[in-house]
Amino acid sequence: MSLTQSTACHRPSELLDTLKRLGFGAAVAVPDGWLGGILERIEQEPAMRLIRATHEEEALAIACGLRLGGVRTVLIVQNAGLLSSGAGMVCLAQRYQFPLLILVSYRGTPDDPVFYHVPKGRVTEPVLRGLGLAYACAERSRPIGSQVEAAATYAEEASSPFALLLSREDIQW
Amino acid sequence: MVSEARPSRADYYRVLADALPAQALVVTALGNASYLWAVMHHAPENFYVEDAMGLTLPLALGLAVAQPARRVVVVEGDGATLMHMGALVTVGAVAPRNLTVLLIQNGVHAASGGQVLTNPELDLAALARSAGIGRASNVAAPEAFAAALKPAFMADGPEVFVLSTAPDIDVVRPPIAFDPVLTKNRFMTAIGAPRYVPTLFGGGRLEAE
Repeated sequence: MSLTQSTACHRPSELLDTLKRLGFGAAVAVPDGWLGGILERIEQEPAMRLIRATHEEEALAIACGLRLGGVRTVLIVQNAGLLSSGAGMVCLAQRYQFPLLILVSYRGTPDDPVFYHVPKGRVTEPVLRGLGLAYACAERSRPIGSQVEAAATYAEEASSPFALLLSREDIQW
Repeated sequence: MVSEARPSRADYYRVLADALPAQALVVTALGNASYLWAVMHHAPENFYVEDAMGLTLPLALGLAVAQPARRVVVVEGDGATLMHMGALVTVGAVAPRNLTVLLIQNGVHAASGGQVLTNPELDLAALARSAGIGRASNVAAPEAFAAALKPAFMADGPEVFVLSTAPDIDVVRPPIAFDPVLTKNRFMTAIGAPRYVPTLFGGGRLEAE
């Protein structure tokens, strides 16, 4: 199997390759069970800088600072982190119109019915709509790379954060 | 540490303005931290954060990583530091050599009317050192700040100065419009940050001017 074929079959690899191709120079993250593996890969990428934050709202602000300094930056968090970042999302990222790609492990959906994730999954999209945060759910029937590129492009062309909600197959290495 | 007779924010800002290196970037927190700095030293290389309490320090951390060739100075409040104390840990872990942190310790939430902090006398310098920031000190006088700041700008950071300051509750009127998008775009233009070229024009990437 060629490298290209292997990457096409492995959605997290395709996702990371897309970030590299688009020139993302930094990722700011708070991990969860699905995110640990890809964060380790990002840490090994010579053209990317990974910053591990202590809290998702703090991570959001670090990402805004990186983008302010001219570095294309992706925020990688669990949906719980979006729920706990509302003030920063509204007062900083949206008010100052920072273009940020946010990749989200979407926990607690019907495909991830873990009892303690379910309450978060149930409210995530209503909260995002309430915040006025543009978002999309990744579609498993389509390649993930083109969906990441569309989300990143939206963030830049709209000068706003954009959240792409991901399933386990998309992001867990 | 909060001392008995405390200097004003302006006393410290005069020292900062005198010592600021060329090409330095200054990020200021909400309220008078930004308004007064705009009065005393407005420049395109200032990034004024309004509201977003507790997020000025982490934003400045990201900026310092993105602009390693420039000195980044951040002015944050003690209340905001308590709100997002984890940011000190991240600063300690990332350890950007070009970051200088000024923590205004006035013991109150000055921007919201002067309500006392949960712990107004916390040793923030000790806290910063515990968070992994190698150099952090409490400062109680502008003269001491002046003696320490210029050498700090010549040395590798990160370094934290905790400035014991009298509360300034009255809102200072800034001399410029505090439009957030204008602030951001003026800043990014001043530092020559790469700009995004839309896909319509064959872009889709950040490109240097």
